Amino acid sequence: MATRPAIYLTWMSIRMWARDRAALFWTFFLPLVIMVIFGLLNFGELGKVDLGIVDLAQNEASARFIEEAGNVQALRVSIGEEADERAALADGQRDLILILPANFGPAVSGQGAVWEPIAVQALYHAGRRAESEVGLGILGSRIDEMNFALSGVDRLVTLESEAVAARDLGYIDFLMPGVIGMAIMQLGLFSVAFSFVTMKREGVLRRLLATPLNPATLLTAQVITRLIVVILQTLILAGVAVFVFGAEFAGNFFAVLLAAGLGGAVFLALGFAVSGWARTEQQAAPLANIVSLPMMFLSGVFFSRDVLPGILQTVTDYLPLTFLVEAIRGMTVQGDSIIAQWPNFLGMGVWFVIAFIIANRTFRWE
Amino acid sequence: MHIASDQKADNGSNPIIVVDDLRKRYGDVQAVDGVSFQVQKGEVFALLGPNGSGKTTTVEIIEGMRTADSGQARVADIDVGKDPKAVKHLIGVQLQSSAFFEHLQLQEILKMLGSIYRMKVDPEPLLNTVDLWERRSASFRTLSGGQKQRFAIAAALVNDPAVIFLDEPTTGLDPQARHLMWETIAGWKEEGRTIVLTTHYMEEAEELCDRVAVMDAGKIITLDTPEALIEELIGRGFHRDQEVRAATLEDVFLDLTGRSLREF
Repeated sequence: MATRPAIYLTWMSIRMWARDRAALFWTFFLPLVIMVIFGLLNFGELGKVDLGIVDLAQNEASARFIEEAGNVQALRVSIGEEADERAALADGQRDLILILPANFGPAVSGQGAVWEPIAVQALYHAGRRAESEVGLGILGSRIDEMNFALSGVDRLVTLESEAVAARDLGYIDFLMPGVIGMAIMQLGLFSVAFSFVTMKREGVLRRLLATPLNPATLLTAQVITRLIVVILQTLILAGVAVFVFGAEFAGNFFAVLLAAGLGGAVFLALGFAVSGWARTEQQAAPLANIVSLPMMFLSGVFFSRDVLPGILQTVTDYLPLTFLVEAIRGMTVQGDSIIAQWPNFLGMGVWFVIAFIIANRTFRWE
Repeated sequence: MHIASDQKADNGSNPIIVVDDLRKRYGDVQAVDGVSFQVQKGEVFALLGPNGSGKTTTVEIIEGMRTADSGQARVADIDVGKDPKAVKHLIGVQLQSSAFFEHLQLQEILKMLGSIYRMKVDPEPLLNTVDLWERRSASFRTLSGGQKQRFAIAAALVNDPAVIFLDEPTTGLDPQARHLMWETIAGWKEEGRTIVLTTHYMEEAEELCDRVAVMDAGKIITLDTPEALIEELIGRGFHRDQEVRAATLEDVFLDLTGRSLREF
C-alpha cells in the first residue's frame, strides 16, 4: 500500500521548499536581516539630549549650574562659544543650547549677594522636538529648583513619581511582532502568487489535471507546507529576538503560534486570490506588492500607528496585517490570552472568509 | 468520406474507446463538431490534422481534462463525462508541452506521480525505457527539449496504463530519438496496450498506426488504415510528381550518424 497522496505530496512540497533558495532567502533570511538591522538601530530608546551651554557669566554660580546639568543622566553637556554652539545647533549636533547671561548669579550690591530676575535664553532644534522638549523640561525643573532654593519658599505641592513599568520595554519588543507579521504576510502572498502562477504558466497544473489527483489534495499539500514554514519562521524570528536582543515574550507560546497560523491562512488565501487573477509572474508581482507594501508601513510593523493621522488610523484598524501584528504584540508584550485578543482573532477570521471567497472565484488551473 | 474499416471495427467489436458525436465550442469557434470513432483494444490509433483542426481538444475530452458540450466519450466502458477520475486511473497521458514541479529530481517526480495513483513506483525501469536513468537526480528544467519529451513519456507510464495518449510525441526529437520512440510504441502495442496519438508526421502515422483518422475544422473527414487510404488515393488516379527512390534523406542521415541515442 502506497502512502496517501496528500501526505506524499506534502512531504514532496516540503522538500521542494527546502531546495528553493529564493524561497529560503525571502522567508527566513530577509526578515531576519530586517529584524537584526532594526534591532541594532534601537529606535525606541530616546537618545541623550545634546545640550550646549554658552557660559557668558564665567562665575561660581554658572559653574555650579553647569556641574549640576552635567549630573543629569539624560543630558550630554558641552560648553562652547555662542557662535560655535549656534552652528552646532544648526548642524543638528545639538538639540538645545542654553545661554547663561553675563549677569547670571547673585548681583553684588550694598545688601550683599542678592539675585535679581535673570532671563536664561534657550534655543532648540525645531527638527528635534522630542529631544528638545525633554531637555527643556529637565532644565525648566532645574531652574524652578534654583528659584525655590534662592527665594526660600516652601514647596506646597510636590510631584512624587515612581516608575511602575514592570517590564522594561524597548523597541525590539515592539519590532519583533511586527517583523513576524510582515514575514508571514510576505510568505503567504508571494510564495503562493509566484509558485502557482509559475506552475500555471508552465503547464505543471495542467499535467496534474491529467492525473486522478483531487485538486483539493494539491492545495492542501501546498497550504500545509506553507503553514509549517510560517511556524518555523515565527520560531526563528522570535528566537533571535528573544535570545539575541532580549525581547519580551510574555504570552503563551502556543497562542502566538496559533495567531501566526491564522494570519498565515489569511495571507495564503489572499495569495491564491492574486495567483488566480494573474496569468504571469509579471502580473502577480505588482499585484502582490500593491496588497503588501501599504500594509508593511501602515499596519504598525516598524512604528506605532499612533503617529498616523486620525482617518488613516481608523482605516488601518481593519487591515489584515494590523490584526495579525496587534494580536501577536498583545500576547508577547502584554501577555494577553487568545480570549483577551478576540477582536484581532475575529478580524483575521473575517479576512480569511473574504479572501477565501475571492480566491475560490478567481483561481484557475490553466 | 471513407469509413469502411470503421464499420468493420464495430463488428470485430472489442472497443476500449468509444466516442460518440462529441461537440465543443470556444466562443465563435466550433473546435469539435460532431466527432465519432472507436478504438479497438491493442490498437495504435492516430488523429491527424493541421493545427487548429480540433484533434487536441478531442483527445483532451477523452482524457477527462475538458468537458464536452454534448456527446459522449467512453473509455473501458466508463463515461468520461460522468467519472473522469476513474478514466484517469486507467490512462497515461503525455501532453504537447508537459512541465513538472521545480526542485524535484526526475525519480522523485515519478514517485510523486505514482502516489497520486496510490502506487509505489520504481523509477529505474521507467527511466530506463526512455534512457534517462543516468539523469535520475536531475531536475526537469535542466533537461534538453528531447529529454523533456522523453521524460514526459516515462511520466505517462507510472500507472501502468491500459491506454496511452501521446500528443505529438516526436515533435522536436532528432531522428535517432524518433526511431527509438517508434520502437517503444511498437513495444507497448505488443504488451497489449492501446495507443492514441496525434502527429504532424505522416511517415510516423504510416509506420506505426493500425488506423488513422484525419480531422479538419472539428470534423473527422476520413478514417481507415494507412494502406487503405493510400490505395484509395491512388485508385482515384493520383501519382506523385517525384520519382520514388529506394532511400530517403533520413536514411542517409541515420546511415551517417547511427541509430543510437545521443543525449542521455
